[in-house]
Amino acid sequence: MQVYEAPIRDMRFNLEELHEDDGFGNLEGFEDFDADMRAAILEEANKLCRDVLLPLNWPGDQQGCRIENGVVRTPDGFPEAYKQFCEGGWAGLAVSPKWGGQGAPHSLAKCVEEMSCSTNLSFGLYPGLTGGAMVSLEAYGSEDQKNFYLPKMANGEWTGTMCLTEPHCGTDLGMLRTKAEPQEDGSYLITGNKIFISAGDHDLADNIIHLVLARLPDAPAGVKGISMFLVPKYMPKEDYSLGDRNPAYATAIEHKMGLKASATCQMSFDGAKGWLVGPENRGLEAMFAMMNTERVAVGIQGLGMGEIAYQSSVYYAKDRLQGRSLSGVKNPDGPADPLIVHPDVRRMLMTMRAYNEGCRALSAWVSRALDAEHASPEPEARERARDFIALMTPVVKALFTDLGHETTQMAIQLHGGHGYIQETGIEQFARDARIAQIYEGANGIQALDLVGRKLPDRMGRNLRAFFHPVSQFIEDHAADPQIGKIVGALQQSFGALQLSTAHIAQKGLSDPEEAAAAATDYLRLLGFVAMGYCFAKAAKLAHAKLAEGVEDEQFYKSKLITAQFFFDRLLPPATAQFMAIRSGKASMMDMPADAF
Amino acid sequence: MPENTQTKSIKKVCVIGAGTMGAGIAAQVANAGIPVLLLDILPKDGDNRNAVAEGAVAKMLKTEPAPFMSKRAAKLVETGNIEDHLGKVAECDWVVEAIIERLDIKQSLYEKLEAVRTPGTAVSSNTSTIPLAQLTDGRSDAFKRDFLITHFFNPPRYMRLIEIVAGPQSDAGTVGMVRDFVDRQLGKSVVDAEDSPGFIANRVGTFWIQQAVNSAFDLGVTVEEADEIGGRPMGVPKTGLFGLIDLIGIDLMPHLMKSLTSTLPADDWYQKIARSEKLIEDMIATGYTGRKGKGGFYTMEKGADGSRTKMAKDLKSGEYRPAARPGIVHGSAARGDLGKLIETKGKVGAYAWAVLGPTLSYAASIVPEATKTVVGVDDAMKLGYNWKMGPFEMIDVIGAAKLVEKLKASEYPVPPLLEQVGDKSFYRIENGKRQYFGTDGEYHDVVRPEGVLLLEDIKLASEPLLKNGSAALWDVGDGVVALEFTGKMNALDEQVMKLIQQAIPLVKSDYKALVVYNEGSNFSAGANLGLALFALNIAAWSEVEKSVAGGQAAYKALKYAPFPVVAAPFGLALGGGCEVCLNSDAIQAHAETYIGLVETGVGIIPGWGGCSELIDRWQKNPRHPKGPMPAVSKAFEIISTATVAKSAAEAKEHGFLRHTDQVTMNRDRLLYDAKQRALAMVDGYTPPEKPEFRLPGPAGAAALKLAVESFRSRGIATPHDEVVAEQLAYVLTGGNTDPMETVTEDRMLKLEQEAFMKLARHPHTVARIEHMLETGKPLRN
Repeated sequence: MQVYEAPIRDMRFNLEELHEDDGFGNLEGFEDFDADMRAAILEEANKLCRDVLLPLNWPGDQQGCRIENGVVRTPDGFPEAYKQFCEGGWAGLAVSPKWGGQGAPHSLAKCVEEMSCSTNLSFGLYPGLTGGAMVSLEAYGSEDQKNFYLPKMANGEWTGTMCLTEPHCGTDLGMLRTKAEPQEDGSYLITGNKIFISAGDHDLADNIIHLVLARLPDAPAGVKGISMFLVPKYMPKEDYSLGDRNPAYATAIEHKMGLKASATCQMSFDGAKGWLVGPENRGLEAMFAMMNTERVAVGIQGLGMGEIAYQSSVYYAKDRLQGRSLSGVKNPDGPADPLIVHPDVRRMLMTMRAYNEGCRALSAWVSRALDAEHASPEPEARERARDFIALMTPVVKALFTDLGHETTQMAIQLHGGHGYIQETGIEQFARDARIAQIYEGANGIQALDLVGRKLPDRMGRNLRAFFHPVSQFIEDHAADPQIGKIVGALQQSFGALQLSTAHIAQKGLSDPEEAAAAATDYLRLLGFVAMGYCFAKAAKLAHAKLAEGVEDEQFYKSKLITAQFFFDRLLPPATAQFMAIRSGKASMMDMPADAF
Repeated sequence: MPENTQTKSIKKVCVIGAGTMGAGIAAQVANAGIPVLLLDILPKDGDNRNAVAEGAVAKMLKTEPAPFMSKRAAKLVETGNIEDHLGKVAECDWVVEAIIERLDIKQSLYEKLEAVRTPGTAVSSNTSTIPLAQLTDGRSDAFKRDFLITHFFNPPRYMRLIEIVAGPQSDAGTVGMVRDFVDRQLGKSVVDAEDSPGFIANRVGTFWIQQAVNSAFDLGVTVEEADEIGGRPMGVPKTGLFGLIDLIGIDLMPHLMKSLTSTLPADDWYQKIARSEKLIEDMIATGYTGRKGKGGFYTMEKGADGSRTKMAKDLKSGEYRPAARPGIVHGSAARGDLGKLIETKGKVGAYAWAVLGPTLSYAASIVPEATKTVVGVDDAMKLGYNWKMGPFEMIDVIGAAKLVEKLKASEYPVPPLLEQVGDKSFYRIENGKRQYFGTDGEYHDVVRPEGVLLLEDIKLASEPLLKNGSAALWDVGDGVVALEFTGKMNALDEQVMKLIQQAIPLVKSDYKALVVYNEGSNFSAGANLGLALFALNIAAWSEVEKSVAGGQAAYKALKYAPFPVVAAPFGLALGGGCEVCLNSDAIQAHAETYIGLVETGVGIIPGWGGCSELIDRWQKNPRHPKGPMPAVSKAFEIISTATVAKSAAEAKEHGFLRHTDQVTMNRDRLLYDAKQRALAMVDGYTPPEKPEFRLPGPAGAAALKLAVESFRSRGIATPHDEVVAEQLAYVLTGGNTDPMETVTEDRMLKLEQEAFMKLARHPHTVARIEHMLETGKPLRN
């Protein structure tokens, strides 16, 4: 059974306590969002997600989207839920008030995002894509474009898409073929086919604003010849009433493994009218402005799926009676003890829990940086935040979605046969979560981004924003009577990370394949050290809180146990990635292609 | 070529003509420690009859880059005028004439010289255009015997080329004497030229400039594009062509053209391409003569907000517009693959070929007319125009046969030498020796003058004794090995230290001595900062600490090795590059050595023994006051301000070199001299005693702190300068020592390491290192 209650206590711990000392300073411009306000928003979001979105999740999966006469229909209940979502102001939660948004900090909005991902990932994609399109438009659009389109997108009345992929090119955008012919009125006619376009067409909003990558007639070959165009589904008039239908049609929807309530469209642009966004041939830059925030958002999807998989598993483990505890009967009145008494079930539950809490803590840190990048009063802190985001974006994207995948698989395992049949809704999590490892840059690409670009950039400058606080924390707490032991474990992993980093930097210089061969292992190691750092900090806080006496003692006690589990059980295998990293590329690359 | 049969030597020189060239030549003679008489004409007005020459010397003392290597050298220049002091020429062994390029005036000067000079005194002209035969017309046979042309390049201190032209009557002994002097004493590389117009370098160089300018106008290539195509990809300094013309002065172009067109035969190819552009004439007429004038093909425009924008001249409109970075040369064509470059499609290939094809063909046409061998042309262009490759080396890159084919297709002339070489190359390596293709169709060994020993040659004939990614060890003969730095920019790192540690037992058992030497563009600018920054960024403190300790251990192992160690620095020897010299038994420095402990610039202090070594040198300097404080103060002053000596002579003044250390003027002789110096120390060699220091301790540190505070309050020192200076003072004063105690060298190294680590972890130090790596300039935080 799909069960969900937003982990608000943990979210608030991350928001209010854990990252207070992150050095980004007091952020400016979020004065309206004090702790009480934040708590209230989280409560309201929980209600919407739990009571409106979750009930549509499994039915939506079963029903799926359909295309009728070139019009895409979302599952029953989606349009109404979307309306409710927009009316609550959730579409523009983190959007600047300048465009009619709420102006909430990312650190808060990411929590809400996690909730919607947990409860209905398919649904979340519609506003999610709009958010991404707004980021590109805000960064690269003309003043007129921004003033006209952003308010309509911020309130959710219009949604957005990002049209990149074509049948023959996904990761390698240099091969893109869609054409843009300049017209005398300054517009362009866009012609070409796009695939895998999320929210490419649907019945939730009045209009859809496509951001399309295409080539100008004289554009250079490769990625340096790609421009970005704004192509509305309906040509809007100045008073926002809708004019002609633009020839930008969904020709089919993809039949997918999961995420079935999200309309993934094949799009045909047949001389559709559009306008240039940003400078000519700089479309990829504009796309990356969006891509970076989207990558963090996709990471949150992994976390969201992990959370609901965990909660549903906890519910099942307490409810399902099977076998007897090895340490003596725990449920003498029943025919058997609940699953939760069994160590191996515990192993799974604790792993899921630790992954979720670790990812959430790290995501809170990265979200703080997303806020600090613009809102820190100190230029140095803003720069550090940028470095940190650059480093952590691929980590959040790949690690969170990999762990989300592992967690949803574990949920199936824990449910046994009941996890494998459809009616319980558990296998849906695994199917839905799977795409997050693939889209917005496959996880292998994320790892390459980390070792190939983020690591060597400016002689390791991005690393500093992460390595220095961790190093300082270890130095300051290695002899701490309460957390010294786990800090010792952290130190060991951090040492392995430092050695791995130096190894990759050195090897990668002379042989980029060496760095690439180590990339995925390295990303995981770095991510686990980051989670470990968060857990160690959390443990320190928990000890302090318990010593001073708090109402919700169990929260902190649980945090200590989860942290301990992480250091006992999860960090060691991640640390061992170092062995794999150091082994080099040979056993990966030696096999002749013919011998496969 | 005249045989070297001289028995005389040059003990005093007279330079007549105190213009840029004459004064510069006089300064270089003085730099060699030789007294020099500098004469010029009487001033137009004023009472001081020596004003012209005196003014030239005074001006040189303010010129950057400095013509003099030290203030002391300037004192060796005696000034005078040709009316009153020409008689003093009798005291001189060599007279260099460097007056205006007018035959009649030169001839009349020679006539006067003939009357006053001592027979056997060499007389040479620095003419760049007038044939020797005309210069000596009407002079006695005795004068003709002692006469030759010595063509220096500007500025004489820094340009290594000298072209020597001997006449048919020139005495081999006299020529040999001058030749030997300019080589060994003035440090110049002699290229023998024939008595033909423009000699070698300017003949090819002028043709090249003309052809490159013509082609830019003809093909509609912008100055930035021309410089991108014709600069680095061709191995020409990055100024490129138009940047170079700006540097030498646009107004010089018509002069060069006139002198060559008036002296070259009518059928010379240059006559056909010589032309002037209206745009360039207008620039000269309106004072846009390049860097020395109001601007050139490039200029820096200051914005209202104080920002500076590089502007470039549009060759079509004649207007300045913001300079572009064309970025049009890609791949191997951008990295010296000339064949690829000239075959590139579009204007890159078209312009490259329009410049290179004719220039290389022309260069091949002047052998043996202008100089007997292809080596002469290549050396002249490399040393006189700072080309990375000479024309014949470039032809070898393209392939002579391919070049001929392409020349024919473009209907350019193909000189006989190119036809003759056919599908062979102008150079080849045979039995470990470099050989060149002679006009006789045979290959001949490239022969080095006696006393010239080059690693470049040794490498052709042998394998290194030891080698890793950053250093190598070579057997340079007679029981001496050379330690070579081989990393990028000769940066010092763990690998270098590892190789030093491996070298020591090897030298101990199988060899007699070691020299630290290399043939990069600089000796070493110090530790690999990029690596250090990376380590700091990943908080690998223990690694950084290890690299400090490792460097200390390696350098001390060198210092106390049971054999002599001689360091042979040249160019930049900074930070760790300076410290390896300080830890050697002796230094044989090239005159152009720029040595210093510059660590404070990046927020750290010398960590490989530089602090204690510099104190040791000042404490042992007999001319410096004794006691714990004076040497410490001096070392503090030098290190805290990151002082860099601007010559080997200045390095002695700062104490980087001991007074017993020696200087080699000619770069090519450095290894040989260092080797001889090391061999001289072999017999009875004992490693130095470990020094012990009596240092002022906290009281001394307090005094130094006061000084820094005053600099800080006057705005000379920045906040982080103060932090760095405090650590430096702590180390130099011996930490918590007391003037009554002695501090061991090991203790000093420990102090260095501790202070180094404190600073290395400081965020402002990290910011300094990062800024230095990104901009090449120090951050003043």
